[in-house]
Amino acid sequence: MDNNYLWDRSGEIDPDIQQLEETLGTLRYQPQPLQIPNTLQIGRRRSFYPLMAIAATIALVAIALGLWFAFQPRQAAPSLSANENSLRGAKPIERQRPPQNDQPQQAVVGPGVKPPVTQRYRERTRTLLARNKVRPPAPPELTPAELAEREQVLVALRLVSFKLNVAQRKAQGLPAPNSIRNQHKIG
Amino acid sequence: MFEAEATADVFLMTQALSAPQTAEPSVEATLIEAVLNGERDRFARLYEMYAPMVHGILLARVPRAEVDDLVQDIFLHALRKLHTLRNSDAFGGWLAMITRNRAMDFYRSSKETVEVTEKSAVAKSPNRTAMEILDLIRSLPEAYRETLVLRFVEGMTGPEIASRTGLTAASVRVNLHRGVKLLRERMGVVSEARP
Repeated sequence: MDNNYLWDRSGEIDPDIQQLEETLGTLRYQPQPLQIPNTLQIGRRRSFYPLMAIAATIALVAIALGLWFAFQPRQAAPSLSANENSLRGAKPIERQRPPQNDQPQQAVVGPGVKPPVTQRYRERTRTLLARNKVRPPAPPELTPAELAEREQVLVALRLVSFKLNVAQRKAQGLPAPNSIRNQHKIG
Repeated sequence: MFEAEATADVFLMTQALSAPQTAEPSVEATLIEAVLNGERDRFARLYEMYAPMVHGILLARVPRAEVDDLVQDIFLHALRKLHTLRNSDAFGGWLAMITRNRAMDFYRSSKETVEVTEKSAVAKSPNRTAMEILDLIRSLPEAYRETLVLRFVEGMTGPEIASRTGLTAASVRVNLHRGVKLLRERMGVVSEARP
């Protein structure tokens, strides 16, 4: 038997199927108007584009802040060395420090050179200390004549100190110190 | 066993059989868009298109006396939740699922009342034969029940059932043939049992 009639009512009519249609068709839906109350609220379809735009803006701001914090110490280093120079007058920093101490700071100032991570943190603490610390001015260098005079003063002070030491021992009843050092006993 | 066979057949569907569904113009999408834009009167057209399907699905599950009220409730619920439907082309399947869930809720909430109403409805029905056949259809596995009611009660063809409910055409075809075969067997048993 052709089953197309059951599928789409085409082809040969199946009497049993037709009988079922006629019998059960009496229970068919009877159209009735839909009563929609006026108080019924119809929701609006949510659009995700505003939420995505807000999320993208927040992400961009976060990235920008991260980059700004990452590059900020490199930009602060040159201005810090300039302040130290102004505190010390005309003398540059390089003359007061050993050469090995100057290298890391120059590496930080250099635009193209990227220092290792451990040195970066060390440099940061050093620059912070340098910012808060006011160092005294370095003593001026002496001329040869001044050096000779200073040597004479030191010898005089040493002689006076020795005489005072002898006098003190005499007052305390102690024997005078032997002026000859590293003396070995004989016999 | 029949439900298992029907489910297995659904997974063996070919692409060629389900292709005509995608070629159908989406009137529903236009209507839904209009309703969501404030033209709630356009929902009446959707109601006209899909009320027989909802009626048939309910008739396969709940007492006939409760069907008309439930149809109204389901469409109002669908109108309220229409904004949650993402794919407008899937309106039929979405509405069918709402209807099935509502029928299950009905049985959960008032099972005792259903049994009494069913008996009284059958007794008061002027067309006793139609209600007897409907009761036989309701005794069939759920996969066949709905398809047979939509075919014989609502007068929909197989392709119409497939496009309205969101089922594949092959699935509807299998359910129709196996359901009719099973219904004939049960009708023969009933007629033989009568004096």
